[in-house]
Amino acid sequence: MRPRRARWRHRLLLALVTLYSLFPIYFITVQSLKTPQEDVFGNPLWIAAPTFENYTELFEEGQVRARGFVVLPRVPFLLWVANSALVLAGTLAVTLACAVLAAYALGRLQPPGWRWWRRLLFATYVVPHTILFIPIYQVVLRLGLDDTPSALVLIYSAMALPFCVWVLSAYYRHLPREIEESALVEGASRAVAFYRIVLPMSQPVLIAAGIFALGTIASDFMIASVFLLSEHNQTIPAGLATMEVALDELLAVAGINLMAIPVVLLCAVFARGYVRGLTAAMIEGA
Amino acid sequence: MVTAYLLLAPATILLLGVLAYPVGWEAWISLTDLSPLNVRGPRFVGLQNYRAMLAEPFFWRAVAATAVYFAVTTAAKLALGLAMALLLLRPSRLRPLVFLAVFLPWAYPGGVTVVAWYWMLNPPLITSYSVLAGHIKYAVDGLLGGGAWAFLSVALFNVWRGGSFTAVFLLAGLNAIPAELFEYAALETRTAWQRLRHVTLPLLRPFLALAVFLSFTTAFADLANVWMLTGGRVIFPVIGTYAYWLGIRNGAIGEAAAWSLSLVPLLAAALVGLFRWFDPREERTA
Repeated sequence: MRPRRARWRHRLLLALVTLYSLFPIYFITVQSLKTPQEDVFGNPLWIAAPTFENYTELFEEGQVRARGFVVLPRVPFLLWVANSALVLAGTLAVTLACAVLAAYALGRLQPPGWRWWRRLLFATYVVPHTILFIPIYQVVLRLGLDDTPSALVLIYSAMALPFCVWVLSAYYRHLPREIEESALVEGASRAVAFYRIVLPMSQPVLIAAGIFALGTIASDFMIASVFLLSEHNQTIPAGLATMEVALDELLAVAGINLMAIPVVLLCAVFARGYVRGLTAAMIEGA
Repeated sequence: MVTAYLLLAPATILLLGVLAYPVGWEAWISLTDLSPLNVRGPRFVGLQNYRAMLAEPFFWRAVAATAVYFAVTTAAKLALGLAMALLLLRPSRLRPLVFLAVFLPWAYPGGVTVVAWYWMLNPPLITSYSVLAGHIKYAVDGLLGGGAWAFLSVALFNVWRGGSFTAVFLLAGLNAIPAELFEYAALETRTAWQRLRHVTLPLLRPFLALAVFLSFTTAFADLANVWMLTGGRVIFPVIGTYAYWLGIRNGAIGEAAAWSLSLVPLLAAALVGLFRWFDPREERTA
């Protein structure tokens, strides 16, 4: 009798956790699928007559639109999608390239003072970037990157880098040296041994670092809206910031959900890899 | 050795440019009275901004609110995250699906979702649940003071998203602990509670410390995101958003810099403590 009860309790807990995790997403999605009439008179938890009005609206041509009794400007959503994809790809490339090089140096070559260097790089993660935008703007202006998606690539990379370096260097530190040394004995150079052997081996950890960077990018909203001013240069979050979201929140939710689809798919595909990569990096202490 | 420093260069230069220089600039500016309202240019005023800040009664309230906010959200994230991680550790046929559900809050683009969530809980226009939302808002505000519900809705979101990240992170940590240790623990302890306190928690300590560390930045970023999207209408009584208000609305950039930097000593102290846990000096043999 007892194991059976325990099993049901376990299932109940699993169901509760699932409900808790999905409810906020369900709730905002339900609202975004409603007509203006149902949004006011309907049931908050349910939709009687779903409409994709808010979603298709994002792709319509023209200057203004009407929702209920409110007239609102239209937005170039497709352009925002393209800019967001560009920023994502750029950030992943810059972050992973810089992180792998630095992590290999810290974890494997271990120059004098590496431990403190590693701690210092990681400590930068705790400084909230959002309090620094006046001086960061100066740097961006000096580089001639103001109002371009490249500015975001620079800042997001700096935000994701500390954790990626930490995880990757933890992994390289515990990777048995013999793996590389056998290649060195065969006459390969260090660079070749790294590229042919160490890099492919660290693939799970690279996935973990990449997913973390993706999460960092997706959690920003403020930086995008401060650094991207022209409508045609904006990413999805920056663009949503220019809308009067208080009046038009359902359209914004539609935009968020559309943005979420590719991000969630990427995460779902790599979710197992993410855990495996983090585990691989932590296997001998963080 | 030269190679090691060369490999470290890209990451270090990026963090110096986008982080160290801005922090340095901010520190310098906090000693001046820089403001766009001052036509004669900035003047060195020594520690005056800091003295004014410490004399401000609101400062101490903001410090207390910030500390409570950090502490409560972090504790909630750790508790929820640990519970979900332990639940997901048990094999079950439903596990892959529940794992994806738990992963979803973190994978969902948080920067914009927090804003949608905020407007959902504080509906600006009439919607189907406005009356209920109003009742909750006035009940909470009446109990805890004006603006409490707005603050709480962001805190809830932060816990929801951060708890998901912590759960997946701790799951990776639990996976990294050799299974024999748990089997041994099951023989040595009598209750599940004992096992948690004397075996699981001590083994997880480095990962818990890392999770705390990662929780700080998102706790701050969520508030900043909502502040930005409400156009600064919602001023949370915490250090960060008050600093924006000073700098952007009042033009007192020097003073705002002092406010922004006031949290750095606290964060640094927390960091030194946490480093002892997740980056111990001696090589651990596990």
